[in-house]
Amino acid sequence: MTARLSWSALLLVVAAIHFASGWQGALPALVFAAAALLAFACVPLVRWQRVPTGLTMFGILVLALVGGYWVARDSAETSDPVNVLLDLVPRVLTAARPAPATPELLLPGALLTFAVALAAAVSVAGKGRSLLAPVVGVAVLYTCTALLTAGRADRHGLVALALVALIALGWLLVDRLEAGGRVLLGLPAVPVAVVALLATLLPTGDAFEPRELVEPPVTDLGVAGPLPQLAAWANLGDAELFRVKGPERAVRLVALSDYSGAAWRAASLYGPLGAVAAPDLPPGTRVEEAEIEVTIGGLTGSWVPTVGRPTSVTLDAAVVDPDSGSLVLPDELSPGLRYRTRGVVDVPDDTDLLDATVPAGGQSRRYLALPGLPFSLAEYARQIVRNARTPYERAVAIEQVVKIGRTPDARAPVGSSYARLERFLFGDPGEPGANAGTAEQFASAFAVLGRAVGLPTRVVVGFQPAAGEERVVRGSDATAWPEVYFSGWGWVPFDPLTGTSSGGSSAAAKREVLNRLASITATPTTTALSAPPPFVPPSQAPDARASAAPSRQWVGLLVSASIPVLVVFALGMLRTGRRLRLRRAGAAGAWDHVLDLLLLSGRTPHRDRTAPDIARDLALDPAMRLAALADRAAFAPDRPPVPLAGRPPAGATFAAGPPDPAEAWRLARQVHAGLRKIVPWHRRLFWAVDPRPLWRR
Amino acid sequence: MTTTAVPAIGEDEIAAFRVLHGRLGDAVETAVRGKRDVVDLVLVSMFAGGHVLLEDVPGTGKTTLARAVAGALGGVSRRVQFTPDLLPSDVTGTSVYDPQTGQVKFRPGPVFANIVLADEINRAAAKTQSALLEVMEERTVTVDGVAHAVPAPFLVVATQNPIDLDGTYRLPEAQLDRFMLRTSIGYPSTEHELDVLRPGSGAGFVGAVPTVSNPHVVAEYGRRLQTLHVAEPILRYIGELGTASRADDRLRLGASTRGLKALVRCVQVYAAAQGRHFAVPADVQALVVPVLAHRLVLTREAQLAGTTTEEVLGDVLAGVAVPRPSAR
Repeated sequence: MTARLSWSALLLVVAAIHFASGWQGALPALVFAAAALLAFACVPLVRWQRVPTGLTMFGILVLALVGGYWVARDSAETSDPVNVLLDLVPRVLTAARPAPATPELLLPGALLTFAVALAAAVSVAGKGRSLLAPVVGVAVLYTCTALLTAGRADRHGLVALALVALIALGWLLVDRLEAGGRVLLGLPAVPVAVVALLATLLPTGDAFEPRELVEPPVTDLGVAGPLPQLAAWANLGDAELFRVKGPERAVRLVALSDYSGAAWRAASLYGPLGAVAAPDLPPGTRVEEAEIEVTIGGLTGSWVPTVGRPTSVTLDAAVVDPDSGSLVLPDELSPGLRYRTRGVVDVPDDTDLLDATVPAGGQSRRYLALPGLPFSLAEYARQIVRNARTPYERAVAIEQVVKIGRTPDARAPVGSSYARLERFLFGDPGEPGANAGTAEQFASAFAVLGRAVGLPTRVVVGFQPAAGEERVVRGSDATAWPEVYFSGWGWVPFDPLTGTSSGGSSAAAKREVLNRLASITATPTTTALSAPPPFVPPSQAPDARASAAPSRQWVGLLVSASIPVLVVFALGMLRTGRRLRLRRAGAAGAWDHVLDLLLLSGRTPHRDRTAPDIARDLALDPAMRLAALADRAAFAPDRPPVPLAGRPPAGATFAAGPPDPAEAWRLARQVHAGLRKIVPWHRRLFWAVDPRPLWRR
Repeated sequence: MTTTAVPAIGEDEIAAFRVLHGRLGDAVETAVRGKRDVVDLVLVSMFAGGHVLLEDVPGTGKTTLARAVAGALGGVSRRVQFTPDLLPSDVTGTSVYDPQTGQVKFRPGPVFANIVLADEINRAAAKTQSALLEVMEERTVTVDGVAHAVPAPFLVVATQNPIDLDGTYRLPEAQLDRFMLRTSIGYPSTEHELDVLRPGSGAGFVGAVPTVSNPHVVAEYGRRLQTLHVAEPILRYIGELGTASRADDRLRLGASTRGLKALVRCVQVYAAAQGRHFAVPADVQALVVPVLAHRLVLTREAQLAGTTTEEVLGDVLAGVAVPRPSAR
């Protein structure tokens, strides 16, 4: 009983500590582990014979809930106990991630851990002495952890592995330990190895996000996009907008993802930082963290300068658009405001990008939308990328073409409509804004042409401050740049304005791409066409690689799915082989088979029990007859003594001659049938493939 | 053991033995009611050629059992009541001068019998106990330098009161080791006690026990049963039990080789009494305590802690893996 309870408690404490990774700091781990242990400490109370187990459990749970209400009542808006308790879960789901370790946010986790651990403890200590209940409890806690952290708590499945190994060990050893048997040192290694092998092959899918089920507290802010302001800032010249301390990275103000054909629009729904879901397009696999300190000077408006995709900011009121990572302060920025912000920046290598693919449908549709794209722009884009083989080459080609022959001009007309972009790209010399523009037109032209050839793009407004420890950001530093999303590598900035300082992709890599394209890229024109080619919506631009990927996925999935099947099949074969070997061994083998069955049914007999003792414990008549036959097969002399007289001996309880193997196995089958009737279903579930009999001694 | 020289005991012999054993048991049970397991144990010891020590509080039927067994087995049986003033010569016999022949003649004592009932053996002084000890081991009585052999078969059924009762002398360990088997009787169940109390019932009356055998048959079976098959795993099991008892730190003296040998002998008879021509581990488990418990010596600490050798043997049994039928 002690081995059973210790094992269950260990399992649940591990799961509880893992569950605590949904909260900040080390305190939740302590609280949840204590909740699990407290539940196990209640076992003597529950086993108290005078009160029914159910009633005691109910009483303990009610006490726990009352305690929970007492803790949470101050922070709740309502005084109704049921509502106070019911509100706890949505609160955790709408809190920042990981949730702060405040009492009212810790409470639902602690209550859940306690309830699960109590149920498991009672099942283990109760009459059923089930070894399944703690496993179910662990599964519940692990699932909750995965949901709460969107699978980030156990990214590589290490905790799951450890838990599965613990479970397997318990199933293998607890019965054996309690039967007083010795434990082989090599034995625990087998399940661990099998589990580790399986884990390397487990497919990892998209995480289910329970936070999507609850509406985060969002604010609809009609904040104007700052693109038109670029010109105004440029005119300010040396006027100080703000100061920034920290790593030399571009400071972002806002990322504009939605293009209407007339203008770029910023998102309008914002939520608290950390509480809202992950961005619609997942961040890259190579990221860097950066932290900056900003002191606001002359900068006005609601947009808060940040670095990368912000993860934290010391402004309490700031809200964020999770997709673009733009931070907004509902109140306007004021001079002298000082804050620190941390952000994550995608930093892919050049080699990563060369062969990178771009997403074609789903969440990326928004970044490919070009309502009513004029034919001229579509055809221009098509010709630019005619010789480009990969998405990255297309992006580099567009960047180069937009840059060449166009001059930055702070006094050029503003705007990013199709008409303004056509004038910018194809305008006759002399027209205002022809081949000249601010960063707005350069970035917009790149983004629109990119979308036209299937690259998910957006435009970012921000600042490229000069180098230095504390950098003063002036009006002339304001700029805009386009970004392209590559699958697995995140948003990569490009710079069609100067072509030099484009985020993660170095000049060398671009030069290499351009050298390859140089010989074959003709200067694109709009007049070379006699007839307009059929218009292909860019969102449907075919990607040869895309069709290959799913089939590879299927193969992977098939292989991953077939491995467990193969393992089960192999185990089944090994067990069958063992049974055949035992069958050849006659009556003694039949008794071995019965011992296998006892092991599987969790009734491993103590090592000092003889075969007849075991049969008597089973109270099955065939078992008793089989035990006698098996004892005879094992301990009688090989050649039975020849009776002196010809008649069969009177009063002999044992038939003369060796026991009949067929009779022994008939009895063994009857014992099998008898055991099936008295063993719970979950123990019988894996009888045929359970590997434990293979190493029973 | 002469298992190679003598042919192994046949199944019809086993069957005949089982019948005889059953009849002996039935005969003894006419006097001693409701104690068939104890009766069987005593009979096992008889056939194994070993002496029996019955230990229990006064009035539980020790003497009755001993006499009933003697009666059922037949042959010459004599009873010696051990008292503090009993002399060794009162047990073994003495040399007396015969005036008619003018020679010194040996007059045999009560030990010259097939079955000797040594009643309340621990009430005699150590010297007298030692006299019996020599006879039990040597099966001869040496008086005035002349050895006189006692008749064969020779079995001692001794009774003793628990040593914490007044007026008892503790039997030395060496002497205890010469008893093949020690057992106690215990009080009968209410039903059997009523049977004994009821006037006119034959219970407790030894005179009515029928004689169903004779000592020579017993001796012959004892010899034949030594050829009964004891499989190697069972011998190994017995050996492991002995080793485990010697390793137990509550014991000053573990099971001796003589004790284990006696266990094997008893197991052979016990198996035959169940009608089997081979021994099984259950036979060993059934006999370990009666055969070994009185041979073990507890440490001082264990004695003070109130531990008994029976408890220690129970733990030893639980700690040693029993051989089971297996395909290997």
